[in-house]
Amino acid sequence: MAVRDIFDAVLDYEEDDVAELVQAEIDAGTDVHSILQDGLVAPLDDIGERFSAGTLFVPEMLMAAEAVQAGLDILRPLLTETGVKPIGTVVLGTVKGDLHDIGKNLVGLLLEGAGFRVIDLGTDVGAEQFIASAQENDADIIALSGLLTTSMPEMANAVATLQDANKTRNLNVKVMVGGPPVHHEFAMKIGADAYGMDAPAAVERARSFFTG
Amino acid sequence: MTWTSRDRVLAALDHEEADRVPIDLGGTGSSTIVIEAYDRLKQHLGLEHETKLRSRLNRLADPDPSVMNRLGVDTRAITAGFGRASGEWVDDLTFIDHFGVTFKGTVGADDKHFLYKDGPLWGGKLTIDRIDEMEWPDPDNPAIASGVKEQVARYKAEGDYCLVLNVPDQVIHRAYALRSMVDFLKDFYRAPEAACYLMDKLADYNIRASENMIREAGAENIDVIFFGEDLGTQDGCMFDPENTYGRLIKPRHERVIQTLKARTGAKWLFHCCGSAYDFIPHLIDIGVDVLNPVQVTAKNMEPERLKGEFGDRLAFWGGINTQDILPHQSADAVRLETERCIDIFGKQGGYVLNSVHNIQFEVPPENIVAMFDAGLNHRY
Repeated sequence: MAVRDIFDAVLDYEEDDVAELVQAEIDAGTDVHSILQDGLVAPLDDIGERFSAGTLFVPEMLMAAEAVQAGLDILRPLLTETGVKPIGTVVLGTVKGDLHDIGKNLVGLLLEGAGFRVIDLGTDVGAEQFIASAQENDADIIALSGLLTTSMPEMANAVATLQDANKTRNLNVKVMVGGPPVHHEFAMKIGADAYGMDAPAAVERARSFFTG
Repeated sequence: MTWTSRDRVLAALDHEEADRVPIDLGGTGSSTIVIEAYDRLKQHLGLEHETKLRSRLNRLADPDPSVMNRLGVDTRAITAGFGRASGEWVDDLTFIDHFGVTFKGTVGADDKHFLYKDGPLWGGKLTIDRIDEMEWPDPDNPAIASGVKEQVARYKAEGDYCLVLNVPDQVIHRAYALRSMVDFLKDFYRAPEAACYLMDKLADYNIRASENMIREAGAENIDVIFFGEDLGTQDGCMFDPENTYGRLIKPRHERVIQTLKARTGAKWLFHCCGSAYDFIPHLIDIGVDVLNPVQVTAKNMEPERLKGEFGDRLAFWGGINTQDILPHQSADAVRLETERCIDIFGKQGGYVLNSVHNIQFEVPPENIVAMFDAGLNHRY
């Protein structure tokens, strides 16, 4: 029995095995930080890389993310107890006027798997809802998603409102954007702090705010 | 020779050049136009009439013959009297369809759209028993084929158009709606047997309902059959082209396509958004003749690549950039892009002009006219 077995069980999409193995490691007194990093975060990074490379696809990503969730559910209380803090808090949602959520949900699952605390506000979310939730949860990042081309102006408005709130209201967040019609140039033009071209890239960008 | 609309489309689908590129608008449920964009278009063209709806749920207009004639449209759609968007409106933003799937719309946005948010197989494990116990709509419901005979008679009286039979439902997209997309994608791993059973039942439903429509239309009147589902994403494949598509989904698609092609002799127009590239060899293999909507901005979907690798076996229907050029650029840029697509996709035939998917909410009428006029005026 080793943390490596958890890693392998995630890659086999065996959520029940992951839960059992995480519990076994905890019982054996293994360092919880190591269970998290080497058992859960590492295989999800591996899956993310293969997704970005086009050798794994949406069903595999969903299955792996769910297996990691099963482990996290068991680990979470211990992480709090032992003082392992989330990397940061992300408020996530699809912008106003848009109901598409598969891409956003993938980003949320991967962020959680990577050790972030994620507040998912769902779809059709206005700028003020993002601000209120970020203030309430002391968030570090607000991440906006959208699929429709008509969501792009709404995304631009929302980013402007958020960046303005960063200056004039009690808000201190980085703003990330993503979605099929969104590209890097657009993201920069509307004043976003980062753009994730796919879900694993979004996790990378989110991490980069904390590693400098 | 004088080319009729039907000749022009069929020549293109047989990989021959006609007098000009054939043009589609409204021939399929994925190549028509959003209501608001249509209202601006008809005003711009000075063609007054009441806007008819193709689908309230999908916010789509049914273009009037006066608009289609002005734009040079060569196709006409045969659609089910009772199809994908049939059901009951609970309120302005809530719709329950004939499979018991609940759709919800956005509040307050100009560009309203609806997405499925609940269905009879949502939650829990997918099992064969649950699928059997679900209340299934009857593919022999006479409402499905009602109006089909009249549509065909009207089109034949108006001219010699290419008639496109729209298969009234889908397989994996219907499964997503019944089950939720995320759970159905996971079912490929968790309950592959039940997932295949569900896809088989949906293939049966589509075949049977289409056969009833074909009988009403007259098999000899159907030139093209339209059906398909999204296998691609912006950056790649939704699922594994071999392990998931080839092994689990493809046999169901093949049965729908081969059965209905055998009933009609029609060409098969397959719709697949996103990057279809890795699936194209499979699609050709199961009898697909034409690909729609040809999302040129998705990965590996550049016109040169597609035409170069598959152009001798596959025709293309769509292709004019919906994600950037049509909504965001000038009419002149639209004309240049349309000419570029005609030059590449239309060489030795093999191309039917239309936008990538339905013309969207914010596309200016000048850009729509620029696209179709380029089709009317540009020579190969």
